[in-house]
Parts: sequence; structure tokens; C-alpha cells
Amino acid sequence: MDASLKELSKLEKLTASSSGRNKASSVSDSLDSLLVALESVRANIDDISEEAWESISQNIEAKKKEIDDRQKEIYSVTAKLGKAIDKKFPATLPSYPDLFESDASISALEGAIALHFLRTGQFEAAQAFFEESNVDIPSELRSQFIELHSILRALRGQDIGPALLWASRHREFLQSRGSPLEFYLHRSQYIRLLLSSHPANFHDAVAYVKAQMRPFFQDHQAEFQRLMACAVYLPLSRLQTSHYADLASPSLHFELEPLFAKEYCASLGMSRQVPLRVVGDIGGGGALAKIEKCRRVMRERKSEWSQRDELPIEINLAPENQYHSIFTCPVSKEQSTEHNPPMMMTCGHVVARDSLQKLAKSSGRVKCPYCPTESLSSSALQVYF
Amino acid sequence: MSNKVDVEGAFLFEQPFARVPYENYRKVFRTSQKHIEREYGAIQSAASDISSSLKAGGTQASELTTTIDGMIGRVDTLKRKLSDLHDCAGKPTQDVIRERLQHMAMVENLGSTADSDYNKWADQRLDRWLVDWCLRHGKEKTAKRIAREKEIEVLVDLDLFSDIQRIEKALAEYSCTEALAWCSENKASLRKVKNTLEFDLRLQEYIELCRVEKKSEAILYLQKHLIPWQETHLTQILQASGLLAFPSGTSCRPYMRLYDPLRWKALIKLFRRSIYMLNALPSEPLLNLALYAGLASLKLPACYEHSTKNVDCPVCDGDSGGSSSMRGMGLGKLAKEVPYTHHANSTIVCHITKKIMDADNMPMAFPNGYVYSREAMEEMAAKNNGVVICPRTGISCQFSELRKVFIS
Repeated sequence: MDASLKELSKLEKLTASSSGRNKASSVSDSLDSLLVALESVRANIDDISEEAWESISQNIEAKKKEIDDRQKEIYSVTAKLGKAIDKKFPATLPSYPDLFESDASISALEGAIALHFLRTGQFEAAQAFFEESNVDIPSELRSQFIELHSILRALRGQDIGPALLWASRHREFLQSRGSPLEFYLHRSQYIRLLLSSHPANFHDAVAYVKAQMRPFFQDHQAEFQRLMACAVYLPLSRLQTSHYADLASPSLHFELEPLFAKEYCASLGMSRQVPLRVVGDIGGGGALAKIEKCRRVMRERKSEWSQRDELPIEINLAPENQYHSIFTCPVSKEQSTEHNPPMMMTCGHVVARDSLQKLAKSSGRVKCPYCPTESLSSSALQVYF
Repeated sequence: MSNKVDVEGAFLFEQPFARVPYENYRKVFRTSQKHIEREYGAIQSAASDISSSLKAGGTQASELTTTIDGMIGRVDTLKRKLSDLHDCAGKPTQDVIRERLQHMAMVENLGSTADSDYNKWADQRLDRWLVDWCLRHGKEKTAKRIAREKEIEVLVDLDLFSDIQRIEKALAEYSCTEALAWCSENKASLRKVKNTLEFDLRLQEYIELCRVEKKSEAILYLQKHLIPWQETHLTQILQASGLLAFPSGTSCRPYMRLYDPLRWKALIKLFRRSIYMLNALPSEPLLNLALYAGLASLKLPACYEHSTKNVDCPVCDGDSGGSSSMRGMGLGKLAKEVPYTHHANSTIVCHITKKIMDADNMPMAFPNGYVYSREAMEEMAAKNNGVVICPRTGISCQFSELRKVFIS
């Protein structure tokens, strides 16, 4: 990027309205000096001679040349900037005619976009979008997102009240997910109480624990002990260097926001990440480039993409983007299916059923390809991931 | 699997991001050149007029004064025009180029996708894509709202699309004027890529003259605007000249086609293709391209089977996933248009913790073959006096009865 930025700086300097410390004069400087010359001729119009005018004419031509030179310079720097940009962004985007352009796809995409606006709290954009498209989101869902964002705003302003209220109403749901949300909200409040005054008002903090946090003791015993013990290390400066430093960190409070959003969305049956962001980041983070590269190579080799409904290459995904178990048989390299499920032999190694049958001898015994164990193929167990 | 920023992969999407303001700047430069040629040319010819009249002798001082006043006026005009152009177009465009190049330079210098700066950048990228999608689908108000709310006006091409809209509106009202003006503004660039939009527009104007039977005007138009294309479009020109003999109600096939009003729709499409191409914009919305690759990387047969759906998976959500109020609004429907992902190796995700199982967190099988991660099972056993329960089938057993599963 440096090369392009350098050319751009040159261009900016060249076209700046005053030439400043530049050696070459700017177009407007040339015009100014021409103006001065013309004004002086006009003032002495009665003494004008053919020779005197001749020098004016020459001056006009000279200025024209100056201006032309300047323009040429600008042109050449602009061209260089273009080359630098082309070098930095060499690839042209591919074309996928009619992709997602059917009416059904457009309305699915509009739905996804509308949900995205609501979910990310862009209510004004959402409103404009509703006016400009046919998408319909149930008003109940809309008001849920408005509630979500007002709770998040409160959290940002250090008010856990609305979040706690929601969490206590959805306690059963949160417990079924093993979510620590409610406990973490209280924890944040407790720490805030501890640190709110100096010297620490331990009494208030303990009273808070007694009044609010008892129901969580069972599930968070160890954390409870830490919360109590950390008070010994006050004030804050000492706490920060103790092994309770994590409790003094501001992230203890900041992390409540994404955690709350995640649980709230889960209660609506929605994913923990923002789907458009996830998919867009994967596509724009190298996947399209890899797919295109592979296509190009295949075109050059004049080979066809054998399975049109499957990508010809593997795209590596971050662990947080791997949502499903995939079993690829280590023997046949095929992905398992309903008809060819994964089978675990008595030694614990897993292969696809077709491979197991191929490996079996007529006696029905199978020698595991990965360890010395021999077992009966009939004793293999189908596994479900 | 690493979380290093794939700069090459990200930059693939950004060629138009840099090219659009650059093309705008070239246009500004051409305009400045035009101003100079026009105004300065007049100054030069006035100067030579004075020279010749001085040579001839007997010139009135007052006449000279008027001419010189005219010249001074020209110089002033030129100065003003150039400085206005720089202030209103040149400088702002340079600023946009700078903003955008710096925006991209930031990504280049980022190490990891875990960086909070990357997160912010990716958020903005999605906002840019959404603006692009909305603009291409005629949702200008939404686009402007996003751009303003997110303060990304310099990072999106609102102006370009309002130009497009203006020109297309004119075409939809059967006027080529705006589109032809655009062609002449971009003559050199269009010629370079051998784009012939101008010919098609000219042909259409000619057809319209024939439609209203202004034959002599049509012939003049043909000579002036179509004949210059004879090297490349001779057959079309010959056919067009034949049109003079056919009224607009003709049933003669080739001429009926020329009179077809649907040609205007085709012109709109052709215009859009041309302006996209000139600005290195892809023919599909950037969002669509990103979604295509992203969905194809994720899509598995498991996404479409009820028992293996995962609410967190973007592909699973859609037709039957999620809660009933959002049925059919997800990306799962779009994913039907893309291929499945390809995997050479196994990845086993724990049904309970959603974590990937590996040697450190071994998969463990219940006696009925249902597999969960060791972590999940240990936690359950600890709370339950060593007893574990399969959440999918309900069977229970001692933790010690679970069998280790080896995936190679």
C-alpha cells in the first residue's frame, strides 16, 4: 500500500492550489503571472507597439507550455497511482450470473438482512429497509430485539438491573444450557460494590452476596470462595497484582454484553454469532480466493470439476465455525452417510461400514488397519456423533 | 485453521473499492484539461488577433482594451473553474482515495483475526457490502441510512449509484441523452475495452426516428452517428438502413425486433454492465460473492437433516431451522444454490459442548454408540455421582462404561 500512498501524496502536492515550497509553479501561479502581464499592457494601452505585443504573445505561449507541462506531470503521476493500485489489487472479482437473484432468493436474503439490522441494533436502517422491501418480520420479534438492545445499553452504562430481570425470568432456560449469565451479572455487581469505595465497604458487598447470590452457591462453589477471598487483597492496586487479578480486570464487566446477547439470541432460537458476519468473513477471508484459484487451475488443465455439487478443495475453517461432525473414513476417504455410517471396532478405531466389509475376511474377522487388534466385524458398533 | 488474516483473500474483494474513486479522479483530470483547452485556446486566438491587427496598423486603443479585457476575463474564468473543480471534486476525490487506501493498509498490517481492529474492520466491510447490495437493488434510502449511521460515507459509492439511477431512469423513460453524455465523458475508457454501448444507444435513437417516420432526419442521423461505426458494425448498420422501408407496425421479423420496446430494457442492462466494468465493479453484489464462498465452505448434508442441525450454524437456519417465526428468513435457503463443502479429514464436534474433539478431549461412546466429548462426560459424571446420561437417547451408565473412540 505504501507505493500507492506515495504516489497519492505526490499527486496531492502537484495539484495543491498554492505551489508552496515546490520548485515547479502550479497552474494557478502561471495564470496569476499571466494576469499581471495582461493588466500592465492594458494600463499602458496607448504605448503598445507590435514588438511589445510580440513579447506578450510569447509570454502567453510560454505560460501555456508551463501549464501543459504541469498537466502532463499530473497525468503521469495519476497513471502511476493507477498502476500502483492495480498492483495492490490485481485480481478481478469473478462473475456468477444470476446468483441469489431469483425472487425466492432475494426475499430470503432480504429476510436475513432485515434480521441482521435488528439483531445488531440498527433500527433506523431496519425501518428504511422495511419501507423499501417486502420483508415482513413479526412485530413481536422486532420488539424483542428492541428489548435486547435497551438491556445491552444499560449494561454498557453499568446498570445490570434490566439484564438481571430478564435472566431471572429465564432462569430455567439458562440453567438448562448451563449458562453462568445470572451468576456473572451478580459477580460483576459484587466486584463493583467492593471497589466502589475506599476503604472497601466489605459489609455492603457481603450483604449483597447474602441477599442475591445464595441460589448460585451450589453450582459455583469454587468461584464463590475466590470472590470472598479476593476481598483480603484490597485495595485495587494490590488486587491487580494478586492471583485474583482476573477479578479486578474490566473485562469481567465488558464480557457481560456479548454473553448476554448470546443467551438472549439463544432464547429466540438464534445462533450465537451474527450469521451474515460469520458467512461474510469466511467468504471474504480467503474462501472465494481459494475457490477461484482452484477453478482457474482446473480450467488451465482443461479438467472438469467432477462433482459439481461439491467444492473441489477443502476450505479450512476456524474451530468456532465448525458446527457439525464430519466423519471421513480413513480407509476409503469418503464421507460417511446414512447408508455408509461410521462403525467402531472393538479396539475403538472407526471406519465406514463399506470399508469394514471390504476389510473383513470370509471368517468375518477384521484386522484393524490402525492397530494389531483383530475382531469380528459383526461386533463393530455403529457410532453417532 | 490459523487465525492469520488472509490479506490476499480479503483484497480480492477490494479492487472496486480502490478503483471507483481513482476513476473519478481521472474524470476530474480530464475535465480540467478540457477547461484549459477551451479557455486558453480562446486567449491564444485573441492574442493572435491582436498581433495581426497591430501588424495591419490603425488599431483603436479602445478596441484593443476590449479584447484585452476579454482575455483577462478568460484567464479569470479559467482560474476560477480550475480552483472550483479542485475544491469541489479534485481534492475530495483525493481524500476518498487516501481514506480507502489507508483503510486497506490497516488490514495489511494486522496480524490476527482475533485483533479487535480486525473485528472493527470486518464489521465495516459487512456494512459496505450491505450498502452495495441495497444500492444495486434500488434501496437507496436504506443505503444512505447505513452509510450515515456508521459514518462510512467515504467508504461507499453513493454518488456512483445515484448517477446510475439518474441515467437508468432516463433510459426507462425512453431517453438516451443522459446515457450518451456518460458515453462521451468516458469515451477513451470505453474505446479501450471495446465497449459499444454508444453504438447501441445511437441505434436506438435512430430507431425512434424511424418509428415516428421522420425519414429525412433518420437518414441524416444514420450518416452522422452510425456510419462512423461501419468497421465493426456494418451488418447492423445495413439492417438499420433497411428499417427506413418498414413502418413500426411491421410483421417482418428482423425489423419487428428492432422496433421492440424491450430493447430499452436491454439497453439499461447493457449500460449497467458497462458502468460496472469501467469501475471494476463485479456484475454481482459483493455481498452475494462473499456469501457464495462462505456458504459453500460451511454447507454440509448435516445442515439439512433435522437430527443433526445446529442452531449456531448459519446454513442450518432457514427453512426448517430456528423458531417458527423466522422460518424461511435465513441463509439456508440461499445455500441451496451453492455446492457442498469438501472435507478430506474428519472433524468431530461434541453434541453437548459444541467443541471439537481431539486427543486432548477424546470422543467417548455410550454402549449404544452415541458419542460425546470426554470433557462433557466428566462434567456430567462429577455432578451425578459417576453416572452419565445420553441427552439424545436417555440411556444412562457409569462413566467407566464409556468407550474411547479413535478417529484417525
